[in-house]
Amino acid sequence: MNYHKPFFNRTLSRREMLKMSSCGFGSLALMGMVGSLGSACKSTDRESQALLSQLAKAPNFLPKAKNVIFLYMDGGVSQVDSFDPKPRLAKENGMDPKFKIDATQFNNNGKILQSPWDFKQYGESGLAVSELFPHIASCADDLALIRSMVSDFPEHTNANYFLHTGSGLQGRPSMGAWVNYGLGTENSNLPGYVVLDGGLIPPGGVDNFKNGFLPADYQASIMKTGNIPVANIKPDSTSAKYQKQKLDFIHEMDAREEGSSSEIEAAIKNYELAYHMQSSVPELTEFSAESKATQKLYGLFDEDLNTRNYGAQCLMARRLVERGVRFVELTCPYMSGIDRWDQHQSLKDGHERNAHAVDQPIAGLLKDLKSRGLLEETLVVWTGEFGRTPFAQGSDGRDHNPSAFSMWMAGAGIKKGTIYGQTDEYGYRVVENPVTIHDLHATILSLLGVDHKQLTYHFGGRDFRLTDVHGNVVKDILA
Amino acid sequence: MLMLNWRGYFFLLPVFFAMLVFFCLPSCKQEGKQALPAQVDFNFHIKPILVQKCYLCHGPDPSSREAGLRLDLKEGATMLLESGKTAIVPSAVHKSALIERITSDNPEVVMPPPSLKQKLSDYEVALIKKWIKEGAEYEPHWAFMPAETNKKVVKADFFEQIDALIQEKISEKGLESSEKADKYQLIRRLSFVLTGLPPDVERVKQFVADECPEAYMDLVDEYLNHPAFGEKWASHWMDVVRYAETKGHEFDYQIQGAWRFRDYLIRAFNQGVPYDQLLKEQLMGDMLSSPRENPVSGENESALGTMFFTMSEGTHSPVDIKKDEADRIDNMIDVVGKSFQGLTVACAKCHDHKFDPIPTADYYGLYGMLGSTRFSPLPVGNGKIKFNTVSKAAELKRKIKSLVANEWTGPLEEDSIPVRLVNISSVPESAKDINIIADFRGLDFQGWKADGLAFGANTTLGEPIFSSSTSTLKALSPGFASSQQFGRGIWGALRSPDFTVDKNFIGISARGKGASIRIVMENFQLISYPIYGGLDQKVDDEAWQNYTFDLSAWKGRKVYIEILPGSFVRHQYTQKADAYIEAEYVISFDEAWQTPDLKDTEANLSISKVVNHWVTGKSSAKEIAFLNRELTKGKLKKDFPSALALKMKCDSLGRLVKDSVFIQGVTEGFGGESNIFIRGNHSDPSNEKVPRIFLSGIFEEQKPYQGDGSGRQQMVEMMLAADNPLTSRVMVNRIWHHVFGKGLVETVDNFGLQGKLPTHPELLDYLALAFVKNSWSIKTMIKNMVLTQAFQRSTSGGSMSLDPDNLYLSRYSVRRLEAESIRDAVLKAAGTLDSTMFGKPVPVHLTEFMQGRGRPGDSGPLDGNGRRSVYLEVRRNFLDRMMTAFDRPTPFTTFGKRDVTNVPAQSLFLMNDPFITEQANHMANQLLNNKNLMEDEDRINDAYLRAFARLPSPDEISKGLGFVNKTKIQLAENAESDKALNILAWKEYCHALFNMKSFIYLM
Repeated sequence: MNYHKPFFNRTLSRREMLKMSSCGFGSLALMGMVGSLGSACKSTDRESQALLSQLAKAPNFLPKAKNVIFLYMDGGVSQVDSFDPKPRLAKENGMDPKFKIDATQFNNNGKILQSPWDFKQYGESGLAVSELFPHIASCADDLALIRSMVSDFPEHTNANYFLHTGSGLQGRPSMGAWVNYGLGTENSNLPGYVVLDGGLIPPGGVDNFKNGFLPADYQASIMKTGNIPVANIKPDSTSAKYQKQKLDFIHEMDAREEGSSSEIEAAIKNYELAYHMQSSVPELTEFSAESKATQKLYGLFDEDLNTRNYGAQCLMARRLVERGVRFVELTCPYMSGIDRWDQHQSLKDGHERNAHAVDQPIAGLLKDLKSRGLLEETLVVWTGEFGRTPFAQGSDGRDHNPSAFSMWMAGAGIKKGTIYGQTDEYGYRVVENPVTIHDLHATILSLLGVDHKQLTYHFGGRDFRLTDVHGNVVKDILA
Repeated sequence: MLMLNWRGYFFLLPVFFAMLVFFCLPSCKQEGKQALPAQVDFNFHIKPILVQKCYLCHGPDPSSREAGLRLDLKEGATMLLESGKTAIVPSAVHKSALIERITSDNPEVVMPPPSLKQKLSDYEVALIKKWIKEGAEYEPHWAFMPAETNKKVVKADFFEQIDALIQEKISEKGLESSEKADKYQLIRRLSFVLTGLPPDVERVKQFVADECPEAYMDLVDEYLNHPAFGEKWASHWMDVVRYAETKGHEFDYQIQGAWRFRDYLIRAFNQGVPYDQLLKEQLMGDMLSSPRENPVSGENESALGTMFFTMSEGTHSPVDIKKDEADRIDNMIDVVGKSFQGLTVACAKCHDHKFDPIPTADYYGLYGMLGSTRFSPLPVGNGKIKFNTVSKAAELKRKIKSLVANEWTGPLEEDSIPVRLVNISSVPESAKDINIIADFRGLDFQGWKADGLAFGANTTLGEPIFSSSTSTLKALSPGFASSQQFGRGIWGALRSPDFTVDKNFIGISARGKGASIRIVMENFQLISYPIYGGLDQKVDDEAWQNYTFDLSAWKGRKVYIEILPGSFVRHQYTQKADAYIEAEYVISFDEAWQTPDLKDTEANLSISKVVNHWVTGKSSAKEIAFLNRELTKGKLKKDFPSALALKMKCDSLGRLVKDSVFIQGVTEGFGGESNIFIRGNHSDPSNEKVPRIFLSGIFEEQKPYQGDGSGRQQMVEMMLAADNPLTSRVMVNRIWHHVFGKGLVETVDNFGLQGKLPTHPELLDYLALAFVKNSWSIKTMIKNMVLTQAFQRSTSGGSMSLDPDNLYLSRYSVRRLEAESIRDAVLKAAGTLDSTMFGKPVPVHLTEFMQGRGRPGDSGPLDGNGRRSVYLEVRRNFLDRMMTAFDRPTPFTTFGKRDVTNVPAQSLFLMNDPFITEQANHMANQLLNNKNLMEDEDRINDAYLRAFARLPSPDEISKGLGFVNKTKIQLAENAESDKALNILAWKEYCHALFNMKSFIYLM
């Protein structure tokens, strides 16, 4: 495995070229190059598009990032309680909002609600972070914070699809799929797009992570941190010991069909890959190889089970990018009694428990990546699908707010210690430098060396893009 | 270096060489050597170049047109441009500025601009030059021209003519056909293609032994008439219509009765329902004057077809409800366009289509049709019996009235004196802030539309009410809309026209049981909390109550009111046996509720005139009040024992009719045109509305629909018009795709300018014409395709190297089986296939990797109860893991052609999924428990017939035996007895068979 090979210098290997010709021109395959799982030959002409994209378009400019770790804060973190302090809320706490309110999902809008948490400034950049995230705050100088995010949708499912796929509807390719379609994977024994499931698949289901109209190779593989990280990765107990023998027998019998068609030959080879994955995937969860100090850094010994769980996801994320997995997304841990970050009520309790689960593991991830030199080639993205209202829902909750929210990025190509964009005095609406989801996608792609306008796929009569017809790279947060 | 430096080394890189060849495939793979065609054909030679390289900036869409030049029309290409030049001067290559631009070396001048990386090849330039020289003739897009065959039909038989047309190409290209496939291959191929299942072991033996010349033909007929045929071919169509049983998004709500649509399709394919009928039913099955009945159940099959529309997604509580409607209609337009016409109409949502002649006005013409189509529950069951029963009851009611009226109009003294009739209302003049939306206290429904049988033709005004204790006529009923005109539990819906909310409240005086009233806003159906819960109110009080809807937040919205005897529970319409609803009037107001005046004028009428009005159904409320007063005063006869008897008979008829099972279909709304949404933005509508028309850019001879309904019938008429060349071409090509593995037009859902050209244009046209000639019979079409020699060819041999993609069918293409067939084949080989047809889906099997909102409480069975895959539940948010791994498409739009991927998840599934190992175990037991299989060798023979529909070679037998024996030795320690060990070893063997490539590939 070539963990640290700078990928922008990557040329086609001899093996890949051979692969291309051996499959015949009608059914090209580029192992490890276009297919996230090192797909072999296929009988569609879709891979030819992938090939075109790969060779003719991407990367379009010098990439900064090689991998992405996407920390998805499902449900929507409240910006005014985390990274966007608003003293005016304290002054007007309990008063009727003096500004016009948009329709919200629950329309049970109450009084101005001050943040239950204090903010402090951290690091040389003086980034203000609330008490919710003391550990992340200690990495303040590594972050580029955007306080002016906006989304098009105030309901979870559409907003989730929008954040993940650039469209509020079901069935479009996810950004992880686009990235792998554009860039391919570095490790043919592992999928190129992995979702580390902490227990909560976001509303909208696994369609948030699908390939949409892209070939199925590009969909996310959902992994868990437990003993069996991927479906069907382990043979049943009696078979396991003799599996190799059985596969050899199958291979011998299949030899009859060899030469009959390139599709069948590719399917035969696919078994070898699957067999290798059986060992390379479970190895990912063998944390015993990690030092005690590292495990502690991620919070693996914390009293809070949720911290331990999320810590395991974060550690596994590092191990995945280390092995060349292009795009890793972490979903939130399942906690009984609270519904993700979606605190329509009991904001204080819910946000505190959520924050406690993720804070130390995320900081641990950033520090560990940094100390290993991996942060220079890994982009870490932290965001929810929208923010929350500065006024209360009921007495102690906050409703959805797509008009303003905060997110941050760290790592490869990011201008450290930056704050970008601004909201009004209540943190309700963006007043300066709004950043759309399309802009976010364009920026992520750009850091990967891909021009979002050129990463296209022809489907149903037109060229589709992750960014549709929108998107501007947020240059001010780039190093 | 790959991207940054390689331009300089282009020709050194082998990869680029490979690319160069690749780019040109398949249509012009030998272009380097290939001479120019004798005659340049615009559609086949020139247009593909223009579409791919020029139309983006010089095509039909004016919004992206550069330099005022359009090359899609001859007038555009040959006109004098502002620059003083002319792009194309027919017959004059050197005067054509286009040639100058495409051949220039100057990067500032050359077209297409170098940044687009679309440079024309020398061959393409030469083609264009020759075309201009020959006069630069434009022709309409091939797919929009009528199907025609200039060739003489030389062969007597349909299928022989197909072979002749294929052979012509094979000869023309200098290819050689492969031999006929062996009989084992043939039966397996035919069985999978026609039924989706492997052949029965006994049938294989019989077919192989059968030397009759008709053996193959008999087999074809047998499979075409096999019930499994419908299951297989319905599943193809389900891909086209984005079939799903839930709505996806946040809570993945059920689509009510979706599986009945699946059953409808299976029945239709099995019964050989003609394609034109299927098309009609799916697009307007609710409107057919003589719907198709299920011969067994009497059910209205045609109405089930309209679930075509309801297969779309549904959002839980969207804040922007207008956008939600726009998205939903967009999806319908997309699927209608692709399914039936092979056109990407939805591309014209934001701008005129960039390539096809589909102006954005055509998109919004369709939007008008679909926007004025309403979703509606439709009852399932024998509609005809119900209709006849209710008709009889209605007839009895008329008899009762005339019986009574005959007595009343007798020689009454006062009859000569006209009576002055005044309004009964005592309510003072209404305040100004009340609008009367509808008043059902009169006789009619005030322009509302009553669907179903429940509400009858009029209100209850004047219905005789008998007293059961005294057996006398008590009174005549006051007026109100009632769903129990004939009894309770009968389906009906009373719906208002669309109107715009302009007051804070809507009020409805109503009573009922288990009933509901809904305000349907922007056609939004999934009415529920947190935003829209108030728009659906239950009516479960048998006394008159005022139901108030607060619409203050929704002023300016388009709504209609829906009065239903049942109610929606988690978006499933339910109606109990005693359910009914009645409504007096509907008002809107800003401040306080006030009962409106009855709008009756004064009149002077004689009593016989009043009675005559009553019996002929023309009464006004005050006339009925007058008759009631007369009745009370004893001036009219009350005693009608014979009428009472009729009334009781009428009631008992009504009790026979109950609607308790529903699907979600569509019904006609109130027709209306749509605006154009500027750049597709629903919040930016154009001022003018566009006519409801069907693809006027393609079908020019057409008048807009202007009737009261949605206009869907216009769409259907245009699709089935004799001069529509797309409908039949698209469908025969879909059938061809499934029979041969690849369509004659490879892009089966796109026949537009960006679609692929047909490999065999004449054959396609011949098939399209034959399809219509044979009454749109799908079975006849399939039959003639599988009878061809081309279908029966071996997969090996043929001209593999000259035609690697087998475009010209010199052999039969190897292909992987579809997900459903792989699973069904496993079950069949294991002897566990349950061939029960139809019914509710088997709940999806959930693994721990399938999580999220709306997850069902319980997982479905691992083996899907052994049912065929077409009966497995399709939950949008929890798609079956095996179907997904093997490329069944995500149901969001038309997928006439599935991907065929080759990913490790597939190998891992077959290697390790407990379903496969469990089935291997079943198969092992079958082999070991079959007393006819004495020796292990017999077992291997049987296993091969089950798995591959053929006998093993001696080598395969000996290797198989070797594997079994070796496995026995290795597993000895895991087994408690010899018997158990035997099963274990054979299980491993069967498992290995499932993992062999010949199991999942069709040869």
